Amino acid sequence: MKKGMIKATSGFERFVHWCLALSCLLLIITGMGMMYHSLDFIGGMMGGMGNLKTVHNWTGVFFGMALLFAIVMWFREAGIPSFPEDGKWIACAGGYLWHVDKDKMPQVGKYNPGQKLFFLVVAVFGIIMVISGYIMWFPLDFSTGTVRTMFVLHALGFVIILAFFIVHLYLATIGVPGSASAMFTGWVSRAWAKTNHPKWLREMEEKGTLVTYGGEKRSGRA
Amino acid sequence: MNGLELVKLIDLSRCTACRGCQIACKQWNNLPASQTNNFGSYQNPPDLEWNTWTLIRFNEIEGQNGKVKWLFRKDGCMHCTDAACVKVCPTQALFYTEFGAVDIDYARCIGCKECITACPFHVPRYDKATNVIYKCNLCYSRLRANQPPACVQSCPTGALQIGARDEMVRKAYQRAEELGNGATVYGDKFVEGTHVVYVLPEAVTVYDNLPEKPEIPAAILVWKDVLKPAGLIAAGAVAGAAFLHYVTHGPKVPTEENNNEKGEI
Repeated sequence: MKKGMIKATSGFERFVHWCLALSCLLLIITGMGMMYHSLDFIGGMMGGMGNLKTVHNWTGVFFGMALLFAIVMWFREAGIPSFPEDGKWIACAGGYLWHVDKDKMPQVGKYNPGQKLFFLVVAVFGIIMVISGYIMWFPLDFSTGTVRTMFVLHALGFVIILAFFIVHLYLATIGVPGSASAMFTGWVSRAWAKTNHPKWLREMEEKGTLVTYGGEKRSGRA
Repeated sequence: MNGLELVKLIDLSRCTACRGCQIACKQWNNLPASQTNNFGSYQNPPDLEWNTWTLIRFNEIEGQNGKVKWLFRKDGCMHCTDAACVKVCPTQALFYTEFGAVDIDYARCIGCKECITACPFHVPRYDKATNVIYKCNLCYSRLRANQPPACVQSCPTGALQIGARDEMVRKAYQRAEELGNGATVYGDKFVEGTHVVYVLPEAVTVYDNLPEKPEIPAAILVWKDVLKPAGLIAAGAVAGAAFLHYVTHGPKVPTEENNNEKGEI
């Protein structure tokens, strides 16, 4: 770890993130193993389709718990849009799609609107997946019409979550270099923070809540 | 009967509700009886069960001059040509036989019950003890041996027949015309044709548990024909878009003046 790195996430945040991410990945893999007959080998690897279903269902329970923690933990930071900078960020697509001059880039906080959208999609569709999955697990306890609706919602949630999952994976790794360490070590570089989340960095400096690696916690500057 | 697409024709005008078919089915398929309570009807057991693959339903309706009409209907798998159960089954446990019927491979069934929800006729039934679903398979073992299904074999009145699809459908229409008074043929026009066809002496709507227009539920079509391929298309599209973004627009690297003294990001 280099001196001067900035603390972006707590150990607990990273723990919850990986619980959610890995269970989500396992759910995608096992769910696809059930949906696409050409992927029957996934069931074979688990000793049969019956086991695949068991793994999928119980991973869903774990995912639901991790999701609950994630929502409670991140809702205030990532669930609420912040105006006006979030509106401006959306107007210029965060500078991801076309060139935006540096001085015209909106000064977004810890989470930009794209990340907030991702959070909300995961939260909303995650809850839909947990509820619809539960009903599909015990279909005889519900009306036929309800269960049929759940089939559609569960499949729709899969389409959306998988697409967002891939975008998230790209933007958190090679798409925005320097991001991944926030979820591995918890530290990010100052340059990364200043480029991607300038308001967050500025506010931490103003409030004196900035924690740097190898440095003392700064006292507040009025 | 080998190699033929078959239809079981059920002429309800000839059914006397002797329930010989119910017993023959249990006997051939080794299905135990259930303990039931009298609920005020000869219909027994009250519904299809994992161990009751065919059932005579008893129906009372008001006929002409306020007289009661007693209707009987042999319920069971309709053996759809385009079967919702086969479409939803995640393990391909449900499959079409060479006779056009729908059979189940118990070794593949994982008891997910998706077929129970999908079936427009509410036929498949789940057994907790064995964790698989059960239903009629048109006596596959008997058909393979060139024998009619047990129910057909047992029928004393000729209400049940089995034969080549076209022949049976033709016979059904002939019989409905003979009967007149609003008698109809049920089955050949739905789900690309069922392999069980009824001659109904009364209107479809008066029979219990008989859907007027059975079809694969819209939810199942959206799920299997739209969202299932859409999942792969969407995933491929965003993966492709991410790659294109990387090679054209490029990654979002921290701007130079934000770098530290060594120029590291």
